Amino acid sequence: MKKLLPYAAVALLSVLLVWQIWFWQPVPDTATAAHRQLGLAAKPAGGDFRLQSWRGPVALADLRGKVVLIYFGYTWCPDICPTNLAIISLALKQLTPAERAQVQVLFVSVDPERDTVERLKTFAEYFDPDILGVTGSADEVAAAARLYGAAYRRSEQAGSAMGYAVDHSAYTYVIGRDGRLAQTLAHATPAERIATVIREQLAGT
Amino acid sequence: MQKSFAIAVPMFALILGLSAHGARAGDAVTVTDAYARAVPPGQPNSAVFMQLHNGGDEDRALVAAASAASDVVELHTHRMQDGMMQMRKIERIDLPAGETVTLKPGGLHVMLIGLKQPLQPGEAVAVTLTLDDGAELAVTAPVREIAAMPPMHGQPGSGQPMPQPAGH
Repeated sequence: MKKLLPYAAVALLSVLLVWQIWFWQPVPDTATAAHRQLGLAAKPAGGDFRLQSWRGPVALADLRGKVVLIYFGYTWCPDICPTNLAIISLALKQLTPAERAQVQVLFVSVDPERDTVERLKTFAEYFDPDILGVTGSADEVAAAARLYGAAYRRSEQAGSAMGYAVDHSAYTYVIGRDGRLAQTLAHATPAERIATVIREQLAGT
Repeated sequence: MQKSFAIAVPMFALILGLSAHGARAGDAVTVTDAYARAVPPGQPNSAVFMQLHNGGDEDRALVAAASAASDVVELHTHRMQDGMMQMRKIERIDLPAGETVTLKPGGLHVMLIGLKQPLQPGEAVAVTLTLDDGAELAVTAPVREIAAMPPMHGQPGSGQPMPQPAGH
């Protein structure tokens, strides 16, 4: 009987090894699925949306073939949004007219309650006539933001004459000519860098 | 000889003592490079930025600001939380002794809410700052187009958090 012991041990270990390789999961499948739903790890896919501007509906799909920059913000924002739009307009000014003709910048307002399309027109054009302000119903804006992973949240400001602020991620989303989300640029990325990224997208690199 | 000393020494001490008390905290805090940002027509809010240096040896704080340029003036800051930039009103901006605190885009600022007129480059905004000891500082902030300025915060390509606001 003793003689069989080593063989039994080997057999047991072999079974364990096979199980380890083929069947064992480090984390149960349900937890993996839950992690996928968190969204933070998942890259936003981008995608088409349709919003309103002073000159009518604007569908991202209609801009296929152009490089599109999208920035989510709101006009009551005294600092972050003007800073980013000013930098974007500086980047546009570094492009040649031929290059500019192939670029569209969209400023999406996450504050449709205060930002009418007329107000957006005045605001956006102050920075550059080629920046188009768009917005829509709360649901439409939310749907567009979700596609790009843009976060925003209304925050009541009791005790401040602001009324409410809209907290928001301040990224600039770069959509390539094929309509796909190519890059996400951080808040206050310098104008030179933005111009370089636009040129890379125009060249298709 | 002794009589002169008897008078001179206390006089000297008195003068020294008086001059020490004579330095008001308002003198200790100075403002440099103040400016207001130009805004698009119709935009109701703007911000004033500056550097505040506390040259004294006592901690101070900025607790209020006023201006005829807007309905309301508040102290605000930005912080990055939950992946979003959040702007919040704060009650004070601490000015530690011997240090310089910078109000700049994306960070601490004096917020003008409800502008009474659009701010154009070439104009200037008069702001009165009130410190915690009651001292008032008169500041003239010329209006600037921020587009002309390089970004003063954040690193390219990273969404890193803003510096923690003072006195929050």
